[in-house]
Amino acid sequence: MERADRAGYIERQREAHGRRSIAVLPVHYPKALLTAHDVLAVELWGPPGAPRSNEAGRLQTYVCAVVRNALAFLAAGQADCADALLVPHTCDSLQGLATLTSDFGGWKKPRLVFQHPRGGERASARRFVEAELRALSLELERLCDRSLDAGRLTWALELHARIDGCRARLLGQRRRVALTDRELYALLRRGEGLWPEEHLAELEAAIAASLREQPAQEGIPVLVTGYVPEPAGFLEALNEAGAYIAADDYAAVGRRIVPRRAAGVDPWNELVENHFFAVPCPTRGADWSERMRYLAELASRASVKGVVIHVQKFCEPELFDVPAIRKTFERVGLPLLYLEGELESELSGQARTRLEAFVEILGSRGSKVVAA
Amino acid sequence: VIGRRVQYELAGRVVGPFMLQLQAWQKQVTRRKRARKPGDFGPPLECTRKLKELMSLHYLQGRYADGAVPVAWVTSGFPVELLRPLGFHTVYPENHAAMCGVVRVVPELSDAAEKEGYARDLCSYARTDIGSILTGKTPAGRLPKPDLLACCTNICQTVLYWYKALADHFQVPLVLLDTPYVFGKAAPHHGSYVREQLGELVAVAERVAGRRVEAGALEEIVRSSKEGAALWGQCLATAKARPAPWTGIDGFFHMAPIVALRGSEACNAYYRLLLDELEDRVRRGVGGLREEKHRLLWDNLPMWYAVRELSQLLASQGFNFVCTSYTNAWAEAGINVDPKDPYGSIAKTYTHIILNQDLANRTDILRRLARDYACDGAVLHSDRSCKPYSIGQIDLKERLSKELGIPMLLLEADHSDPRAWAPGPGENRISAFMESFA
Repeated sequence: MERADRAGYIERQREAHGRRSIAVLPVHYPKALLTAHDVLAVELWGPPGAPRSNEAGRLQTYVCAVVRNALAFLAAGQADCADALLVPHTCDSLQGLATLTSDFGGWKKPRLVFQHPRGGERASARRFVEAELRALSLELERLCDRSLDAGRLTWALELHARIDGCRARLLGQRRRVALTDRELYALLRRGEGLWPEEHLAELEAAIAASLREQPAQEGIPVLVTGYVPEPAGFLEALNEAGAYIAADDYAAVGRRIVPRRAAGVDPWNELVENHFFAVPCPTRGADWSERMRYLAELASRASVKGVVIHVQKFCEPELFDVPAIRKTFERVGLPLLYLEGELESELSGQARTRLEAFVEILGSRGSKVVAA
Repeated sequence: VIGRRVQYELAGRVVGPFMLQLQAWQKQVTRRKRARKPGDFGPPLECTRKLKELMSLHYLQGRYADGAVPVAWVTSGFPVELLRPLGFHTVYPENHAAMCGVVRVVPELSDAAEKEGYARDLCSYARTDIGSILTGKTPAGRLPKPDLLACCTNICQTVLYWYKALADHFQVPLVLLDTPYVFGKAAPHHGSYVREQLGELVAVAERVAGRRVEAGALEEIVRSSKEGAALWGQCLATAKARPAPWTGIDGFFHMAPIVALRGSEACNAYYRLLLDELEDRVRRGVGGLREEKHRLLWDNLPMWYAVRELSQLLASQGFNFVCTSYTNAWAEAGINVDPKDPYGSIAKTYTHIILNQDLANRTDILRRLARDYACDGAVLHSDRSCKPYSIGQIDLKERLSKELGIPMLLLEADHSDPRAWAPGPGENRISAFMESFA
């Protein structure tokens, strides 16, 4: 679904199913809970490109483009088709945006927040997650004017587990998926605005049509870690240079997949478990050693030949982990490219050249396999 | 251990005080030789010498702390009251980074951190301290290695990333107090979450210190902390007088004890002394400036590397920062701790720090400060390194300027890294701002 179609899609969902919609800011939120409430989540990652209004000027230029563009977009009324705004507590800037739009204007409809416990898994954090989930659920009940059916929650969790299963399959078996990176990421990211059942149908159809018995990718496999795969031109440039993303650690994509399900627990507990089963992400204050171990394993599993750190300027959660990521891959002899963007609509010529040169270096290094 | 402990105690009780007395005597002699020219400022505070002694002694003793007593590196918003009964020597990396800012060594230290892969867009306090660890360079002589890292997210999420880097470097436990952001009122489960974490982190701190927190000792330290915050608040409040007996810039330096020595008798004794001096100056009509014409509010952290130049520029035209939201934060929150309910009150107090509350609350605080201190202007420091403090300032300025009918200036810089400050254009803007008062 193209961004321009989103407003129409939201309207159609409302007319056909009486479904409310919520604009959701990055990154992590309990999507299954929204689905259980029959609420359509429409994610707002900027959007990329130039800010949609002068309201971006209400934030300093040292605030990341995701937040500045979101303010410009919201304040220009371009998300007014949604019934509410959900701001997960991802970073200081998004937290600031949540209070700014409410206290100084930019969003007039209900604003919900979801606060993650920062730091590792502790008894207090588990109880806090459950309490936050229940508090959000009550807000959603108020918004939709109907109470949550426990059976719906079980159904929604099952639905999202199937979606995650498909996404994990496409990313985990990337080499056998006959899609370009641009096609694959467009498919995966359609879930940011589609009703989950429709997204699942698309994913299943893509698996049936594109997952081959034999390798379908011949390029150089690389691991990409970063915030969001924007601009899409980055993906094209990578493929054109002769590489492909064999291992994904984008906050917007791979890090949002819950890799396993809690067995035999009630749906609320499963929601809590999903929080702690999730892939380590700096926006939730993940433990460094756990994250580095995860990244090393991800690289090893996909036998990647190089690593691209693709971050947004001023993104503190991502930037603080960069030295540790460098060290992790230096240790196993994997070359690394650092690319920083500002949510541009097109990849700069300079970035493209650096990407091409990097892939060329990888190609000239032969077939060195990464040690586990 | 015994040898280190003896060194530590000697440094704090004998050698340090002696050296500092000697240093002070030498300075006095030098000062007599070089007669001070009358400037735009009022007579300097007598207490400044005591402040230097107090903080120098703290850092001097710190050089011998590791191996002698448990050492904790702590964020400024962490409830240090819980660590004091366990005998921790506390080091405040933010305070240390500010010191590096004052002596202008941040670019050099930051370069070392940047070489390691830390981006220049990250907080300059974090870059400074990481650079200091990597190079071993510090104006404090030496910082003791931590046995424990204690971090609270009530000032920003940055400290979590920063302290994770420290934990990785030192391979010591990191205890985290995660305070959910307060939109309007804190939800009940937010309070219980913070309260529960206090128990979790105390268990870790006790294990590291090898002893238990005794209820009586904790109660005493909380009482002392509350008194310290109240005394600091009274010191700040003396600036409501006309002329204000000191400058806001003085306040930035004199806040060091409430940040780094909160909960100790040394901190409170110092503020009693300072309060006496300030009240005496009010009685005698002695101002922080020789002639106070305008009273300003400062928002956000100071620009440590440029405070002298800025205050000089402003003082030359009779402008004084009579209050700052930053120094006020240490008075306003700290008085809410309660010795009768240490854990409950600590949870509540440390959740309701200015930076952990929404912009509506911040607007109220700034409005109140501007009115209480009769400010006729304000400077809002848009600080590249502190997003929680800086986001919203553009709207804040517009709203408060209209409401209060006073001119406000948004000044873009950084609290510690001089490379983010353009002195020429910046000083031009300040001059233009001052002219608008004519």
